[in-house]
Amino acid sequence: MTQSIQSLRFNKQIKDTRNSLIYHLAVALIAVVMLYPILWMFASSLKARDEIWTNVNSLVPEEVHLENYENGWQGFGGITFLTFYKNSFIYAGLGTLFQVSTSAFIAYGFSRVQFRGRGMWFSIMLLTLMLPTQVLIIPQYIIFSKLDWINTFYPLLIPRLGGEVFFIFMIVQFIRGIPIDLDEAAAIDGCSKVGIFFRIILPQLKPAIITAAIFSFYWTWDDFLAPLVYLTDPNLYTVSVALRAFSDPSGMTDWGAIFAMLSLSLVPVFIVFIVFQRYLTEGISTTGLKG
Amino acid sequence: MTEIVQSAAPSVDNLRRWSLVRRRSVKRQNNLVGYFFISPWLIIFLLFTLAPMVISLGLAFTNYDILSDDYEYVGTANFERMREDIRYERSVKATFKYVSWVVPLRLSFALAIAMLLNTKRRGVYFYRAAFYAPSIVGGSVAVAVMWRQIFGNAGIVNAFLEILGLDTYRWLGDPTRAIWTLIILAVWQFGSPMLIFLAGLKQIPSELYEVASIDGANGFQKFRYVTLPLLTPIIFFNLIMQSIHAFRQFTQAFIVSGGTGRPLDTTLLYSLYLYQRAFVNFKMGYAAAMAWVMLLVIALLTLISFWLSRYWVFYETKES
Amino acid sequence: MRRKFSVGLVFLLTVVMLGSAVPGFAQDNELRVTWWGSQARHDRTIEVIEMYEAETGIDISYEFAGFGDYWTRLNTQAAGDELACVIQQDYRYISEWQSRDLLMPLDQFVEEGVIDVSSIDQSVLDSGSVDDELYALSLGSNSQTIIIDVDAFEEAGVELPAADWTWADFEAIALQIHEETGIWAIGPTLPEIALWQSLYLGYGKNVYNEDGTGLGYDDDQPLIDYFSMIIRLQDEGAVPTQEEAAEFIDAGPEGTPIVTGRAAMDYRWSNQVIAVAEAAGEDRNFILWTLPRPVEGNSQNFIKPSMFFSITADCDNPEEAARFINFFVNDLEANEVLLAERGVPISTVVAEHLLPLLSPIDANTFEFLAMVAEDPAPLMPPDPPGAADLRDNVYTPLFVEPVLFKLISVEEGAQMLRDEAAFVLGENE
Repeated sequence: MTQSIQSLRFNKQIKDTRNSLIYHLAVALIAVVMLYPILWMFASSLKARDEIWTNVNSLVPEEVHLENYENGWQGFGGITFLTFYKNSFIYAGLGTLFQVSTSAFIAYGFSRVQFRGRGMWFSIMLLTLMLPTQVLIIPQYIIFSKLDWINTFYPLLIPRLGGEVFFIFMIVQFIRGIPIDLDEAAAIDGCSKVGIFFRIILPQLKPAIITAAIFSFYWTWDDFLAPLVYLTDPNLYTVSVALRAFSDPSGMTDWGAIFAMLSLSLVPVFIVFIVFQRYLTEGISTTGLKG
Repeated sequence: MTEIVQSAAPSVDNLRRWSLVRRRSVKRQNNLVGYFFISPWLIIFLLFTLAPMVISLGLAFTNYDILSDDYEYVGTANFERMREDIRYERSVKATFKYVSWVVPLRLSFALAIAMLLNTKRRGVYFYRAAFYAPSIVGGSVAVAVMWRQIFGNAGIVNAFLEILGLDTYRWLGDPTRAIWTLIILAVWQFGSPMLIFLAGLKQIPSELYEVASIDGANGFQKFRYVTLPLLTPIIFFNLIMQSIHAFRQFTQAFIVSGGTGRPLDTTLLYSLYLYQRAFVNFKMGYAAAMAWVMLLVIALLTLISFWLSRYWVFYETKES
Repeated sequence: MRRKFSVGLVFLLTVVMLGSAVPGFAQDNELRVTWWGSQARHDRTIEVIEMYEAETGIDISYEFAGFGDYWTRLNTQAAGDELACVIQQDYRYISEWQSRDLLMPLDQFVEEGVIDVSSIDQSVLDSGSVDDELYALSLGSNSQTIIIDVDAFEEAGVELPAADWTWADFEAIALQIHEETGIWAIGPTLPEIALWQSLYLGYGKNVYNEDGTGLGYDDDQPLIDYFSMIIRLQDEGAVPTQEEAAEFIDAGPEGTPIVTGRAAMDYRWSNQVIAVAEAAGEDRNFILWTLPRPVEGNSQNFIKPSMFFSITADCDNPEEAARFINFFVNDLEANEVLLAERGVPISTVVAEHLLPLLSPIDANTFEFLAMVAEDPAPLMPPDPPGAADLRDNVYTPLFVEPVLFKLISVEEGAQMLRDEAAFVLGENE
């Protein structure tokens, strides 16, 4: 009797280990395929200039050339990547802060407050997302240049105070997944809408807001069109704009330096991802959710 | 236990209907509160987005080019030109092919991987980072180089196909295959919908699964009756956003074909052609007309999706 | 409530559009300069700017970008009246920009001696002129060239061609190279639009007519013959097929077939040869050769100025701008830094001064241009407005690709090109 229970347990253990093994094998295999481009880029950043092209598919450089990083870091004519990183951190840091904080606020208005014109404004908001930015650049540029905002961070940051439609819509959908009973209970207790937002809704939105923050940081970090057009003084170039200024289709291009700086430019995004995703691990607390 | 209530759909129509029905009972204060909450968006929209949008609509009826200040009203000439423009037709075809493959593939990959990673197993942090990694390579010039290597005749994709015993192709030069390099690039970068799915899965209360287990539900049944219904708002969101995103895709198409749409315009996505017209050939009037045609098409498709969503999207919110 | 909103809207918009439009004050000793290029060019140009600042006390702010980004930014600035004083300009856009009154004529500064043109050839000045007014000054000269891998020719047992070789010679050599060595005779660049233009120069014609309202030739046969030859070579495997070509287009100098040893020749502009040679390494043996010409035709090689500096029409400080351009073009020390990176300097004095400082392949470029100068085709006038449109929307997608993918015959393609060119260029009437 006891023996058979033990063997059952043993079998279960074997089964668990086997499942775990299959899981890790499968997921790791996909991960390798997914990671290949990053590894390729990193390997290329360590290769000698001609080896990048002669030894293309190999992920192991014949000789490690760390000087690619040194050469790339020099930037252009005395303006090093230190400057570009500083600018990118200003843009991505403040941009993310502005965009994500206001998006949640706005989303609450669209999802939990009944007001006249709500449907109309929500539709208009979605419409703004459907117009290709290419036709908006010129009129927007003219407005900002009339404001004398060229070569400042204002044209990049101020519009972000209005949130980002993608995040607003996303958070609206998340809020709709939260039972309204809670709001109602709080309202009966005399809580205002603002109070409900900060005390009830905001804590439930943690996964959504973290997701938005990860995206926002990366999209801003990677954005090149707005900084290209509005920040024309090289001392204000962001990393993404500077990276693109390295190469010319007909000219000499130091690809080793490009790959080096590109690999380096992924580091902040990775760090933000790794730091933030930790908060994605726990599901939200459901205490008090049972209606 | 929270009831899963099928609410009225979230369509724009319904939003409006709710507000109509409730108008009499809603106090004036709610209007103020509502506008207070959306005011950041509203102010920025009125200041910086509305005027450019209206201007671009106006330009669609002119021959404005971005270099000169003067322009003439040309009526609907820009719209009529689209019907005769061979490249326009090619770009529409390429875009629809691209969107119709990218959206379903990207979403199913993202959901599958998100579920695979929604676990407390060891190493899951690492896997998440690995799966998100391709999505952060972005729009750098180096992506073009990398992509040419990967899809080149002797590249890793063909090598992989060979191992599997499948046919290899000249991915970059074959007009029937080239669009696939863009589709695969987009599917490969499924990090953003994956992360949103992951956040959605995190929001599902674990009690629901426990209850389902006690009721004897197996893995598939839990997915079918707990995960899927509760995730529909997020699936819906991803579907809408990924479709809009795919229709507007520009950077990757620009980088991979050097802005040309070759071969034979099979990778000439709509936004790419629009950009070329506006910024390379200075035909901003024509580009604006193209942009508004695109807006109308996407808006129509979105409206249909919102309307259809009432049949399959479930909200926790009890709205009555 | 609603009315209040619309009132508020109008008010806010007015604030944005008018309220804070502060005019910028340009001071006499300030100048803005902008250019495109890669890292090497940025570094050298900035160094020259700093030299000039130290010498004159002028305060120069500068902007740079890669080629594609450069035009996006410049066109946006043009729309917003925010252009820099001195802009790097491309040959193909000069008349486009001039026709919209965005450029300032330089003749006045030449007459006053601010820009010294005494050591610059008249043909170079002509190349930057529209309607007999100078709008852009070239920064270096170029010509189309066939780069020959001497070792590959040797291996195939093919003699180097004569300087006045014809397309018939070219085809025979191409076939022989492919037969003997198995590699391609030449990379995928034979269908390029610049070769269409220079092909007709070989018959003494320009592809655009004088008013820029249509094609400048009546006989499609040379074009048909040329593309038929390309198709024959593709069928033989002597040049990459259209499908194979995709891997190399835009691949940069490092990826071109001649560099990777997969082709014995390459067609380029001469200022790009340095990058190709550098990518190939020092042990390779490349020389620059003239373009083939039509049988019983003239030379197809013309000296084309590359990359110009222009002064924009709204520049507050045009004389200072002209002085800077003069420094850039004529100053010996400045050019020791620039080192012909934008092509062979247009000033013969500067070119001679640089000769001893050059690397062998640079020197070969200088020699090649001297060789072309002995028997040049006349320079084409700048492309008419709409030429970029024709190139992007007609020549490649509606003519070259359908013909080489064999969706239509060469004859049909030539007709298509003619019809569409009439439509696109017809707007100039």
